[in-house]
Amino acid sequence: METNAVDSAHVRILAALRANLPVGLTLAVVTLPQAIAFSTTLAGLPPHFGIYAAIWGVLFTALLNPSRVFSGGPNTTMSAAIGVTLLPIAPPFGADYIGYALTLILLAGLIQLLFVVIRPLGRMLDLINEPIINGLICGIGLFLIFKSFTSFAGLPINTEVEWPLWIAWQSFLAVLEFGNLYAIQIGLITLITTLVMRQIASVRNWAILLGVVAGTAYSQYLNATVGLQNTMIEQIANLSSTGFVFPSLPVFSQEAMSDIISILPGAVTLALLGLFQTVAAMRRMNRKIGDYTDSRKGIFADAVSNCLLPFLSSLPTCASFNRMWLVYSLGGNSRITSAISALILLAMVLFLAGPIAIIPMPAMAAIIMVVGANMINWEDIKPHLKDRREAVVFTASFLSVLFLDLFGAVVVGSVLAIAYSKWEQAHPSISVRGNVLKVRGNIYYGSLPVIESTYHGLIEREGSVVLDFSECYYIDQEGIRWLAAAKAAQKVAFADRRRDLDRRALERRATAEENRGSGKRRGQRRNKPDRRHRSEF
Amino acid sequence: MRAVHTKVLKVALIVALLSGLYLLAVARHAERDALRKAAVELTPACKEKLQAYALGPGERYRSPYLLRTAGRSSTLRGYSEDDVRAIQRGCNIVDDLQGHLAKSGSRERWYANRFVRGAQTTCNHCHQGVGDKQDAAGNRQVGSNSLGASWVMADMYDRFTGMLLPLEWRQMQCFINSSNGFKPNSADDLIRDITAYSRFLSAALALKIGNHYPEQGIDEIPASATLKRGDDYIRGAHLYRQKCASCHGLQGLGTVAQGRVLYPALAGPESFSLDSRMNFARVNTVMAGFICRNMPLGAEGSLENQDCRDIAYYLGTLPRPAGDRQGPLVAAWERIMMAVMPPLTRYAESIGHVPPPTPTQYAESLGHNDRPPHAPD
Repeated sequence: METNAVDSAHVRILAALRANLPVGLTLAVVTLPQAIAFSTTLAGLPPHFGIYAAIWGVLFTALLNPSRVFSGGPNTTMSAAIGVTLLPIAPPFGADYIGYALTLILLAGLIQLLFVVIRPLGRMLDLINEPIINGLICGIGLFLIFKSFTSFAGLPINTEVEWPLWIAWQSFLAVLEFGNLYAIQIGLITLITTLVMRQIASVRNWAILLGVVAGTAYSQYLNATVGLQNTMIEQIANLSSTGFVFPSLPVFSQEAMSDIISILPGAVTLALLGLFQTVAAMRRMNRKIGDYTDSRKGIFADAVSNCLLPFLSSLPTCASFNRMWLVYSLGGNSRITSAISALILLAMVLFLAGPIAIIPMPAMAAIIMVVGANMINWEDIKPHLKDRREAVVFTASFLSVLFLDLFGAVVVGSVLAIAYSKWEQAHPSISVRGNVLKVRGNIYYGSLPVIESTYHGLIEREGSVVLDFSECYYIDQEGIRWLAAAKAAQKVAFADRRRDLDRRALERRATAEENRGSGKRRGQRRNKPDRRHRSEF
Repeated sequence: MRAVHTKVLKVALIVALLSGLYLLAVARHAERDALRKAAVELTPACKEKLQAYALGPGERYRSPYLLRTAGRSSTLRGYSEDDVRAIQRGCNIVDDLQGHLAKSGSRERWYANRFVRGAQTTCNHCHQGVGDKQDAAGNRQVGSNSLGASWVMADMYDRFTGMLLPLEWRQMQCFINSSNGFKPNSADDLIRDITAYSRFLSAALALKIGNHYPEQGIDEIPASATLKRGDDYIRGAHLYRQKCASCHGLQGLGTVAQGRVLYPALAGPESFSLDSRMNFARVNTVMAGFICRNMPLGAEGSLENQDCRDIAYYLGTLPRPAGDRQGPLVAAWERIMMAVMPPLTRYAESIGHVPPPTPTQYAESLGHNDRPPHAPD
């Protein structure tokens, strides 16, 4: 009996491994060039920072975050935020710069901890709705494709931040006019192999890996026939000097204090950028697999990881839209996938530095393009275009990614979404029957003018009004003062039918409503979501 | 069966699209290659300059400039046909970035006009004398942004970001910060040819790598190089009218005749941006330094340091395009200002009867003489 149980556990673990191995491997291979590129070109830090984020950052978050599709690791916007914050303070890649970077990451982690400790702060992050997130995702997907043009054609990367659409167009022209044709060939072979393999069901999960293999094989063929000195193909750096861990300490010395204070706003931005993406991506992807994870747990995982990572020479971590999308589209549905990818990456860095070093960069760029294209999914966009409000919010956040940046997109999208929901609440349903004015909705400062206009019209016509607010579910202080004033003027009678109801019946209804309508909030307060109520959906 | 068909169709479509793009790329590459091999038609200024320096293909290169100035000459490695064409193209770009003088327009300039806004900008406006400004006696002009001297200082730390910038990236900074434009890729022929030309100039002028020469960059004028009375844009406006307006126009919009830019715009849509380091409001030493060393044409060095700062201050208050980092609101505001201000100023001047005070009157109105008795000359 006992051996049977152990056997079945073994079988289950093996099955999970077998299912998650190709996904983990693909994830590791896709993460590696991103990790190197983010740390060197965006953050101004040595490549091992990105790699350790892809190993330890991913492991920590996989350990702490219960979501089944979560995948952490290095992130474009966070890396860029580090660069933007620290460039005025110290020259990049230098000892000072690295010290400040570690301090910045630790500060961001501590600020993120505040979001765990102060609950309303964390709840604020939930105000990003689905159209915003999908707009962000599409924008980032397009952005990844644009960003890859230069390395696809073996051209130097444009580092300074400018209007991205313009740069994309110029990079595209540069690819056509003077890109390295060998690089373009390698990139195209990778791209075509991947896209063709994705159509064949049996190798679908291995498509990206097969693409990389094909690209690398062609690059090796070129090296043998034409010679690397003639093709001038950039390959992934030799990582053999990267070890298991690289302990480090953030700078907190007396003379650095003024600089540390000056990077505080940068730390806040960094913390927010990470949390926005984590919360948004977690919610989106969890819904896709029909699951629910409290966003507080995601925030907690991120905060703790980012407090630990600066001691391991690593970039900060947050959810990665593109890699989570990859895991989802490859069918990975367990935390094991991310953990495996981190371990595989560690093994690759430790033992396979040689073979990795020959992977050509154009092949990696082609893969990032595929990942970006995957993120733009018509099936997800279509529902948003049916409703005018959602379409506006979606389009605004999508365009803001392209015209402003990720942070700007979140701000623009959130303001629009909140404005729409407030607008909804500011227009309660008001019905008039005889001299009875019934309000369904909220009585608060925003909706009062609407109610007042009907109320005064009715008073002029009827002389006295019965105000029925039995179906109001929220009255704010201003509303109460207005009601009191109306009452004092003695032209109004109040009807609140709830008072006439049997108290027990009222209580019963309240419990039922609570279970149906606000089960989620209750679940949060209790820490453990009530499974029985959730199953009603 | 149908699903298989759709899949095959999908794959065929993808492959066709990508191969189409590849063929397009091959064609555009061939076009560029042909352009690289084609003989270069020099602009008049470049013809004169390169003839004076005896540029031509050969095994050895001897600089006539060195022979003339030092009476001796060293022999350097010569230039191939390809090198010569690259240098010639580079010179053409510096002289005429927009391709106004070229037969096939900007195509012969590697489409350099893609990377600047407006239809007037060219390198020669700031790097005068086609990047090598000399006086009548053949002395290199101090603080004249010489491209040759710039090449021998090839890699420099950027003053603002602390980044180590190779010459190619410094050229990109030119495109972004000085010419109100966008950055070309550093592998572009455009950048390579300008580098080739700069490098040739340094060989022709016998400049040695790693040395600092007085003609390199701009002699910046900080407030500490003046009598520290403070900068004054009203005085600057007056000086501008006296010294600059005859060429650059009263509104600083430049002078264009028969499609040729005779004098560049200092304000308005064709000028450098708010973000440019030439903009006094952003960096208050660069423009003043440029004016003192290089302006007015033919009477360089005739202005006092304080005059230059005042003029630069005045120029900094004129409307000009917003830089990339300033966002859409500032851009829109500047656009309105650029449209509204010139006619408004013209109108205000046409109805005004009081002539603006001369500098001496103005200084007296402030309660001090323009030049205090103890001031050195």
